[in-house]
Amino acid sequence: MTTPRRRPPLGVVVAAGVAVAFFALPLVGLVRRASWSTLADDLGSPDARSALGLSLVCSLSATALSVLFGMPLAWVLARVRFPGRAFVRGLVLLPLVLPPVVGGVALLSAFSRQGIVGGYLYDWFGIQLTFSTAGAVLAETFVALPFFVITVEAGLRSMDRRYEDVAATLGAARRVSFQRVTLPLVAPAVIAGAVLSWARALGEFGATITFAGNIVGKTQTLPLAVYLQLESNPDVAIALSLVLLVVSLTVIVSLRERWLGPS
Amino acid sequence: MHVPTDRRARPSPGPAGRAVAVVAALAFAMVGCSSDDSEASSGSSANPTTTTGSSATGAVTVSAAASLTEAFTTIKDDFTKANPKASVTINFGSSGQLATQIRSGAPADVAAFADQAPMATVGDANLLAAPARVFARNQLTIVTKPGNPRGIKGLADLATAGTISLCAQTAPCGKFADQALQSAGLTIPTGSVTRGPDVKATLSAVTEGDADAAIVYVTDATVAGKAVGTVAIPEAHNVVASYPIAVIKASDNPKAAQAFEDWVLGPEGQAVLRAAGFMAP
Repeated sequence: MTTPRRRPPLGVVVAAGVAVAFFALPLVGLVRRASWSTLADDLGSPDARSALGLSLVCSLSATALSVLFGMPLAWVLARVRFPGRAFVRGLVLLPLVLPPVVGGVALLSAFSRQGIVGGYLYDWFGIQLTFSTAGAVLAETFVALPFFVITVEAGLRSMDRRYEDVAATLGAARRVSFQRVTLPLVAPAVIAGAVLSWARALGEFGATITFAGNIVGKTQTLPLAVYLQLESNPDVAIALSLVLLVVSLTVIVSLRERWLGPS
Repeated sequence: MHVPTDRRARPSPGPAGRAVAVVAALAFAMVGCSSDDSEASSGSSANPTTTTGSSATGAVTVSAAASLTEAFTTIKDDFTKANPKASVTINFGSSGQLATQIRSGAPADVAAFADQAPMATVGDANLLAAPARVFARNQLTIVTKPGNPRGIKGLADLATAGTISLCAQTAPCGKFADQALQSAGLTIPTGSVTRGPDVKATLSAVTEGDADAAIVYVTDATVAGKAVGTVAIPEAHNVVASYPIAVIKASDNPKAAQAFEDWVLGPEGQAVLRAAGFMAP
């Protein structure tokens, strides 16, 4: 006997509809508020262009740093048993839930000229990270890195390790086995992690303005420009918001199958 | 008898059911809160003169300039001590931002800004119950790292003194700082200027961050105390900021809002402002 398809309860459907409207309405509002006729001019204005270019440079650099340091970290967390592993994982995940402004204050306490490391950097090498583009990259990496690490670690954990074992029994060195077997198998996770961390870096606000300040052309990235131009130049702010919205949507859609499964 | 078996056989309705229960509980809690609030405020407006006239009741929301943070926090405490049936919530921010919020319909009963211009935008939108009154004045000063390691002597040194923190142009302190720099004929290279959303953020770039100097209000420098060095801006280049206060027309509680405005302009409020370093209106 086949079970008949039952209609979903009305209350649940209504509540779900409210939730969808809650997400959709602000986006509709944003699209409605945009002045489409001047969009090209707004995005072409000097401040907008400098914010767009700077955001691209900073977020891509943060993504590169996340891959460079996140890959080994994800591997260690997935494959090496060591005391305090849970603690290290918690530490890595912390920026996911920490308010970004607090992250910025924490970065100041470490990397400002009065900070634990920043003082030495300045005294010995003359390097000042605060109020510099490098500082904006650092702040973005701080919030973006966890996304890469958890995605790749999950990929490494869920892959079938027998392939690695076979490679080892066939005499492949660890490095060769990683490059030829492990990496191709976790490639989707690596790509998803990189895209996610890039999107997070692109949207970073709190840590950036706290640690790197808000200098046009140097540290004023897209979200900072949106926030600070909202009063003086609302059209530019909305135009830049639309750019961020389109990018975010593209990221979600491109990763949809990975998270939500084919619909 | 068919239905129960079917229900049991369904895969894990548990967590979803629990989540719905949590949301429902939250919703009820929120409904409870808001009905309490409306009861309290409607009760107060229904019989406003049970006490001897001047005593304010109910909730008042004040949108106040960031530079008023310390003074208005004290004033709020004094006001609610004198009017135990009233409660005051203050939303601090840059006057420009607060004005934008009010024009977009954010609920506020009283606006107190650091400049007449943002108040005028609210007035032009016909949102003020009565014309704004000036309740204090303020001036700008340069603040540096403690001990002034860069040896900054005046505005002219800011062009070459490293990273300078100024308020965003939409915040009054940013507008005034630009006016002061302009009157001194000085341009700081764009790459050395970081702009804080409001005066407190601008100040903290020096106290917490690595900015070498900032232009803030005299009152903010007073609050920062030993965390900064102070270099006065000569009268010729300085700007006087006039602080207007007004009741918002759409206020739910205009009586208490007016009482708060009067308190700020009255002897108690003025004494607090004077102690914080503000000048008389």
